[in-house]
Amino acid sequence: MKAKKKKRQDDFQKVKLKVGKKKPRADNATNTNFRTRGINLSEQLKRDTSGPTTHRHLGINDLLSQLHHYNANVKHGALLGLRELLSISPSLLEQHLSRLLSEVAAVLTDKDGNVRVAATRVLRFIAQSVPAERVAPFFPLLSAHLSCAMTHIEAPIQEDAMNVLDVFLEYYPSLLAARPGVLLTNFLEMISHRQTSGGGKKAQDPKGRIWALSVNPDRTVTSQQWRLSVLLRLGRFLQAVVEERPTEEGDMSVRAEGVFGSSREGLVKTLYLNWEELVYSKVGVKLYENSGAKPSPQSTFRLRPEVGPEATVSEGLDSVETVQGFAATLVPLLLEVWVEASASDCNWKSTDGAHLLSPDTMSVMFQVLSILQLLRKLTPHQENEDALDAWFRKEYLADFKQHFMKNFPYGARDASKHKKKVDHKRSKLNTAIPIQTVEPLALNITLCQVMVSLSQKQGLDLEADGEWLTPLRTFVQDTLGGGVKLSYRQLHLLLGTVWKMVFTQRSRALTEDLLAAVYIYYKQRNLPLQTRSLLLSFYSKLYLQEQGHTHIARSKVLCRWLASLPVQLAQLGYRNPTLSSQLINSIHAAASRGNKDLLNSLQTHACRLYDPQDGVVVLLPAESQQRMMQLLYFLPKISQPLLAHLSGCCTAGRISASLAGSLIRILHFRSSLGGWSVGGQEAALQDVDYISFLFSTLTGFSSENLATLQEDESALPSTPLSPLCLYPTPLEQFTHHWDVVEEVCHCLETVGSKSQCFDILQNGICKYLTKLDVVPDSMATGLLRAVSRLLDLSVLPVEPVVRFLSHCLLSLLALLLALQQEAPTETNHKREAIWGACVTALSSVPRLLRIVLQLMRVGDLNEEELPQLGQILLMLLQHTPLHNQLLANAAVLQEIIQNLTRYSRGATREQWLTDLLYCYSVTVAHGSSAHRGSLGLRDMY
Amino acid sequence: MNRTRRSGSYISQSTLRLSPEGTYEAGRGILVPRALCLFGGKMAAPLEVIVSSDSGSQLWNCTVFDPLSGSSLLSFRGGNSAARSLTVLRGEFLLSAQLGKNFINVWEIQRKDQLQQKIVCPGVVTCLTASPDGYFLAAGVAEAIYLWEVCTGKLLSVLSRHYQDVTCLKFTDDSSHFVSAGKDNLALVWNLCSVVQMDLSHAPEPRHILSRHSLPITDLHCGLMGTQARIATASLDQTVKVWELSSGELLLSVLFDVEIMSVTFDPCEYFLFCGGSDGNIFQVSLCSQSLSREKSFQSEGEGNQVFKGHRNLVTCLSVSMDGTLLLSGSHDESVRLWDIQSKQSIRCLAHKGPVTNAVIMPAPANMFLPDSRPAIPLPRFSRHLQSAEGEAGDNGDVCVRPGLHAQDEEETHLQRAERLYSLMTAITDKAVFGEGENTKVRIAELEEEVQTLKKVNKDLYEFSTQLLTKPT
Repeated sequence: MKAKKKKRQDDFQKVKLKVGKKKPRADNATNTNFRTRGINLSEQLKRDTSGPTTHRHLGINDLLSQLHHYNANVKHGALLGLRELLSISPSLLEQHLSRLLSEVAAVLTDKDGNVRVAATRVLRFIAQSVPAERVAPFFPLLSAHLSCAMTHIEAPIQEDAMNVLDVFLEYYPSLLAARPGVLLTNFLEMISHRQTSGGGKKAQDPKGRIWALSVNPDRTVTSQQWRLSVLLRLGRFLQAVVEERPTEEGDMSVRAEGVFGSSREGLVKTLYLNWEELVYSKVGVKLYENSGAKPSPQSTFRLRPEVGPEATVSEGLDSVETVQGFAATLVPLLLEVWVEASASDCNWKSTDGAHLLSPDTMSVMFQVLSILQLLRKLTPHQENEDALDAWFRKEYLADFKQHFMKNFPYGARDASKHKKKVDHKRSKLNTAIPIQTVEPLALNITLCQVMVSLSQKQGLDLEADGEWLTPLRTFVQDTLGGGVKLSYRQLHLLLGTVWKMVFTQRSRALTEDLLAAVYIYYKQRNLPLQTRSLLLSFYSKLYLQEQGHTHIARSKVLCRWLASLPVQLAQLGYRNPTLSSQLINSIHAAASRGNKDLLNSLQTHACRLYDPQDGVVVLLPAESQQRMMQLLYFLPKISQPLLAHLSGCCTAGRISASLAGSLIRILHFRSSLGGWSVGGQEAALQDVDYISFLFSTLTGFSSENLATLQEDESALPSTPLSPLCLYPTPLEQFTHHWDVVEEVCHCLETVGSKSQCFDILQNGICKYLTKLDVVPDSMATGLLRAVSRLLDLSVLPVEPVVRFLSHCLLSLLALLLALQQEAPTETNHKREAIWGACVTALSSVPRLLRIVLQLMRVGDLNEEELPQLGQILLMLLQHTPLHNQLLANAAVLQEIIQNLTRYSRGATREQWLTDLLYCYSVTVAHGSSAHRGSLGLRDMY
Repeated sequence: MNRTRRSGSYISQSTLRLSPEGTYEAGRGILVPRALCLFGGKMAAPLEVIVSSDSGSQLWNCTVFDPLSGSSLLSFRGGNSAARSLTVLRGEFLLSAQLGKNFINVWEIQRKDQLQQKIVCPGVVTCLTASPDGYFLAAGVAEAIYLWEVCTGKLLSVLSRHYQDVTCLKFTDDSSHFVSAGKDNLALVWNLCSVVQMDLSHAPEPRHILSRHSLPITDLHCGLMGTQARIATASLDQTVKVWELSSGELLLSVLFDVEIMSVTFDPCEYFLFCGGSDGNIFQVSLCSQSLSREKSFQSEGEGNQVFKGHRNLVTCLSVSMDGTLLLSGSHDESVRLWDIQSKQSIRCLAHKGPVTNAVIMPAPANMFLPDSRPAIPLPRFSRHLQSAEGEAGDNGDVCVRPGLHAQDEEETHLQRAERLYSLMTAITDKAVFGEGENTKVRIAELEEEVQTLKKVNKDLYEFSTQLLTKPT
């Protein structure tokens, strides 16, 4: 004690001051001998130039650092600032994305509600402007924060986490769906808790469940609403998982989403080429082993594992077992939710037996059912889906029957009567979770789908199934047949139900009833296009599945539907090409299978469909036209009027020349002359009809057309040089006709005996054409071409035909001269065609040249026509292949030349005459040396 | 000499086939034995022969030519063959369906003058083919496909899956699958094993349905490589499509200006040959090199990829074993032999009517030995589908099924498995329901059986260890 005191005194020694002595400086004395000067911090006055700022002059770095502030208001302000900043300058987003996301996500679990709401808003803003692939690397972090929020101990944070989830579901469904394991557990934990307490409870529970529905009295909403909001998100999440899954090819039957409207897209990319591109080496083909025509550039291989090793619960959901495990936990919970929901509602019965529910209950039930529906689809493969269905059936059929089917047709309770008592309390709460009201129809349809998916294919339990399926079936029939207005999606689901029922029940009467109900719906007017095509593809897919299912194949409704297709096609006209092409596809499928009903109906309506003026075939786009032409192949009989129409189609120019060509060839194959026949298929058209079709297509004009042409004024007048009046056809028509003629000639050539063919041809010419005064130039050219191609040296053409042809020929030559003078480039093709036809005709029909030369009577010509004649002769003389022929007619030729020189007694010898004489002399000189060769030729006459 | 050199270079091409990844891959091509090529011309019997038939000839049905000299070697008498129905069975029999009639002519390949038998069918035969291993014979009769087992002559199966007439049937080279094509625009790939299975409860289903053609299929060709083969189909819809047999995927579709009546690959599948209805034969290269700069100057004119010469439908195409010769038969009553590289017609063999079959095939050994006999005589073929149980039990016939490698499911296996399974379930059922002494007896029996099986296994083990450890 003493020592302590002493020590203390040491500490506080008294300083003794003495007079006269300088006062010692105090320890804490301030040294004041300094000077002050002003410092200018110019930087502080300037703005922060490093980047854009908010209206409070805060840059992004400031704002982000403020997020760590302890004060909630500062954080809130910073989040507002961030949002403002990002909307001003979106470029910041790209630079700071990583930091932004990590900082903002960190405040999602903030204690303050306003901060969370603001953070969610910022997140939504970011999500709007950043695509999924750029967020992908940060997504593990985001989802970790999300999980954290979802499993947070405080209820409000959990509730707000739902909003965050909404954002992700809206913008990044694929990223969320990529790692479903953790999230699914979170969902479960939000509405239930794990029963960890030991054996006592477990013994009670027969199925050994360890999860039970939880009730949290602290929440601001009723537990039913809370569950509804969780289930809603769970439903959306599962939807995302199902949609993101890569679908395989070929499973057209059951995958409900793409059942009817699906486009088959395989892993192998098919290469579609056409010959012309190939010939000119525009494309090269490379066929790869096992990967089709194109190698896939993107590899699916990743070195890093997709998910971390710590995530173990139901990883990936890619096998039946994991899905089953998850379902085994979830389904009992869902059933509990359902039971509670239905218990909370008192039993209201409407007059027509529907069980009435309040809107809230309805939405809960709807969510339960849609989640069940989605659970089925979670399996990656279709065959697993069947396994899962069987499992569901085994485990839960009794439960489902008991709970769902007890009050099956559900209806909405009339809101106006009962709302008033309850509403005021609830209306406030309802605003917290805005959920769209669910129609009872949707609920019932989903229920149908869930239950029907449980029904089994085999006939073992048919009786048992039939008992609970009956109400479902009557409901489906009533809905479809009763004229209820259905949305596209509802109809899709209903059709899926019908599809499944038809294939599982395998009873003809039931199938008939169901299909009849669908048919009633189908026959409604004013269906939107989408719905219409859905129904169409439903029927056509059903038809394609018929093999092995006699109850479908014999269905009368289906037959009636098929028979009605051609009528529909005709009625639809050109108004809707896509729908038409769908119709044509269905018709095509049935026709290729030789369906009698369809073929009969097609045959009766063929004339209407193939009318060259206003038939569907000329109105639709090119692909559909081609399909329609192919349909002709399957017609059992092609009648004369139809052939007349088809010939009109070929010549009218409303279908392309190549299509006309394939039409002619298809008819060729269907005639008995076609040559290709396998088995006992009968020819669809008689030979007579076929030949007359070819002949009228060859002429290119119907008899009525020709008759009207005779009075037409626009034809070129007849002169001594062109004995026939030529009607100039438009260039396009000429080219089209020329192509068609080539095709017809080819068909005629391959018919068989050439001489008989030529006989028929010249008979036709004799009978129908020789009387004409006005002849279209395309027809004249075509005839010359056909005659020269078909003529056989053993046949002598009859006199009138040769005379007619020579008239044509001379007129064409005159036309050629006229064409050469006026339009040099445009008519090139036409000129070549005419010249080619003339020359080959002259060289292949020997007597033609002589008659043409005899027709050139110089004495009848006037002054202007002399040069023209000279030019024609010049052209003929300059064509070397004709020399021998000309020499054989040397006498006639000489006479013409002499006459020409005599009649053109101009003062000066004109140029054309000089040329002509020169050519003539050359030809004759050449001919005399080869005189012996031409002797033989002369014998031919 | 020239020919030898070419075939030599061809060998190197075919064995080292450039695969898409840029590595060399061996084995897809066919190996032509060099020695045979060398001596091919000098030997008395040629290595390959052309067999062709037409629908107009009065004197003979089909004729055998030597592809090198073009001389006619043999001609088989009797009737006329229908299109796509000429086939050689085991190198010992020649079969062809009679044109427009309901029977199949069978010759022993060394006896050209006399029919061995006529197989009567329920209808007009539209196509006919024998499996390369010689065990099965398939014919298309109207919409149905008839499948016979050659060794017993039994009709094993009638497949009526097509909706209209079957036009073409082809086996894969390992006889594990066959493909049928019909006028209903469909081509079906069948697994032979599943078709042959004697399961009468349900009709066999095709493995793939190739349904992308829009008009009847006219011809079908099945490439080499067994189940990894590619199939080419030609159709009246002016396209030729190439498919993968294993997956049923469409690989390639080429649209032409005319209907295509026949199609074939060369053995390496470098080229696809398509016979058009206008008499032209189009050649599509399946492994074209990417267009290099200097190549683009020499424009590949149309003439370079078209074989011109026929004047009517080209109905049959066939490529020789070494891939240098192309044989084509046409409705203009001629068969032409082309050199593929220069695309020139080497030879034109005139016929008396539209050509129905023309094929280059390795010469069967017996063909030119008049004294030879078939190793196994051909039984009478039955007309009717036999019910499996009744017949087999009565006659004590032996059912021969595809070889081991192709045999994944077999009827007896199934039965045995079923029996065992029922045995096992019976035991458990009884154990559950507690049929005391009966069960004990059964258990004793089974234990005994286990003992014997163990013993057998042990014996087998010892035997094989002896065999293996025995010093050679």
